[in-house]
Amino acid sequence: MTASPLAARQATLGYGRTVISEDLTVEIPEGEFTVIMGPNACGKSTLLKALARMLKPSIGSVLLDGKDIHSQPTRAVARRLGLLPQSPIAPDGITVADLVARGRYPHQGILRQWSADDERVVAEAMRATDIADLSGRGVDELSGGQRQRVWIAMVLAQQTPLLLLDEPTTFLDITHQIEVLDLCAKLHREGRTLVAVLHDLNQAARYATHLIAMRDGAVVAEGAPADIVTAETVEQVFDLPCRIIDDPESGTPLVIPSARARDRV
Amino acid sequence: MTTAPTPVRRASSDARATVLRVGGYSIRLRHRVLAAVLGSLAALIALAMWSAATGSTSLGLERVWYALIGQGPKGDEFILWELRLPRLATGLAVGACMGLSGALFQTLTRNPLGSPDLLGLTQGATTGALVSIIVTGSSLQVTTALAAVGSLATGLLIWSLTRGGDPSGYRLVLVGIGISAILAGVNGYLLTRTTIIDAFRAVYWLTGDLSGRDFGQARTVAIVLAAGIVVIALLSRGLDSLRLGEAAATGLGVRVGATRVAALVTASVLTAAAVAVAGPLAFVALAAPHIAARLTGSSRSFLCSALVGALIVTAADMIAVAGVGGHQLPTGVVTGVVGGAYLIWLLIAHRKKGVLS
Repeated sequence: MTASPLAARQATLGYGRTVISEDLTVEIPEGEFTVIMGPNACGKSTLLKALARMLKPSIGSVLLDGKDIHSQPTRAVARRLGLLPQSPIAPDGITVADLVARGRYPHQGILRQWSADDERVVAEAMRATDIADLSGRGVDELSGGQRQRVWIAMVLAQQTPLLLLDEPTTFLDITHQIEVLDLCAKLHREGRTLVAVLHDLNQAARYATHLIAMRDGAVVAEGAPADIVTAETVEQVFDLPCRIIDDPESGTPLVIPSARARDRV
Repeated sequence: MTTAPTPVRRASSDARATVLRVGGYSIRLRHRVLAAVLGSLAALIALAMWSAATGSTSLGLERVWYALIGQGPKGDEFILWELRLPRLATGLAVGACMGLSGALFQTLTRNPLGSPDLLGLTQGATTGALVSIIVTGSSLQVTTALAAVGSLATGLLIWSLTRGGDPSGYRLVLVGIGISAILAGVNGYLLTRTTIIDAFRAVYWLTGDLSGRDFGQARTVAIVLAAGIVVIALLSRGLDSLRLGEAAATGLGVRVGATRVAALVTASVLTAAAVAVAGPLAFVALAAPHIAARLTGSSRSFLCSALVGALIVTAADMIAVAGVGGHQLPTGVVTGVVGGAYLIWLLIAHRKKGVLS
């Protein structure tokens, strides 16, 4: 049954006594670029945190390669699954190359601090994200878009087939949003399985190959964007009356909020 | 405009490193960290020699050497082996412990003010010491033991209150400040319930001092220090990754919870040993990691923080022994004044965001 490398099984997720999701079952399909979307507080980031083992389900489980993710050594998990959190912290004055090198942590040890492999993989990750020219620069001097590519390079240096990205485009201007999403699409084409939480419905529809739409902690719809981005689903998930047209650039569904929506305010 | 390229140069010079590889093993030595560690080590050795040679009776390096190898006059040997070296050794070990615990607490709380003083461990040690001085009126040994118990109990309390919840540094800081406030109240109460003589002894202990310390105490602190260094060496890569935030560290495969608990316990034990023997020498745990960070740049080195802590205490103790107007001072007075002044100078001289982070 588990063709899926990463899945939540009947999971109850929450913080303390606050329950966000109950009995949630989600399978991340292998080789797809999955985007989890939904309105604020729908539980999409909570689901991503659970998939990334940052949050342990109080009931149910999260399975990585068919086995409970919390029963596997966390370093072994880190060689299978990389995570770009929402707001990671760059240590003051750290250089691009040094930060990317941090991604090698799960492959290193106290007496294996910097192997030839580490050096090669870090250089490759910087080339793949087009930041090789910045390697000696301080991370704090970079633009928001460049900085996000540095963080993605760090996760790439982990060499994991699975990548989880928590709202990788938030706080970026539109140019840099597209730049980051194009990079994600490229990483997906190269064979990685990606899971991202995104806010922008149209970007989700354009870049995702598999969409998971959530509301009130539950999955409302799931499938290829062309199949599930319909006026009904959008209204059901976001309470937003809309029309769907073909994106003139990519042919993917494009959500146009209807003018009538304003009358309701 | 001439200063504009400076950050770039600083950043890239931090990154320079030499890698030693043998078979599957590799060690990466960052040039700046190496220079900072070797530099502070050299400064520490020089200062220690100077400290042994000077004091109320100036021996000079040559007489120190002969006394050290047992070929000097009896008087010189007495001064060196009975008076100066025990005090010097205690100061070195205490300073190193404080430098390490300060660096651990700053990493754990992700706060430039995170120190055993802020989190209440020092107050806890004080409570233990006050109980021993006031209630039992007992010897320095008992005071030392009870101070260690007080500090450890506070660390344990902080751990149990922050366990299970949100593991961020803020929670640690807030719980620590709360505990610190309660203990300050308790300590104030204890001081009002005593005779003027006991209160004077207590206040003297509260200032922190190294006079009259013997090799036994130095050895106790040194053993704790050695154990602490081993644990920190094992934890340091995980702690370094924690600087990227809890989420990123988890993603990299750091056992965040276990690493934090181990670091908290280690920092508490180091503080307990140091404060129990020397009293709460103000500002050492706070200032040492900041000064070390100035030296090592974007990388952190616990070793460098330990060396700087030892440097501060040794230097402060030399000033304390020289004294003011012919009177020796308690060491804690000097660490407070000098450490505080140095920190403020650091802030003014390097007015820049993040200098203390």
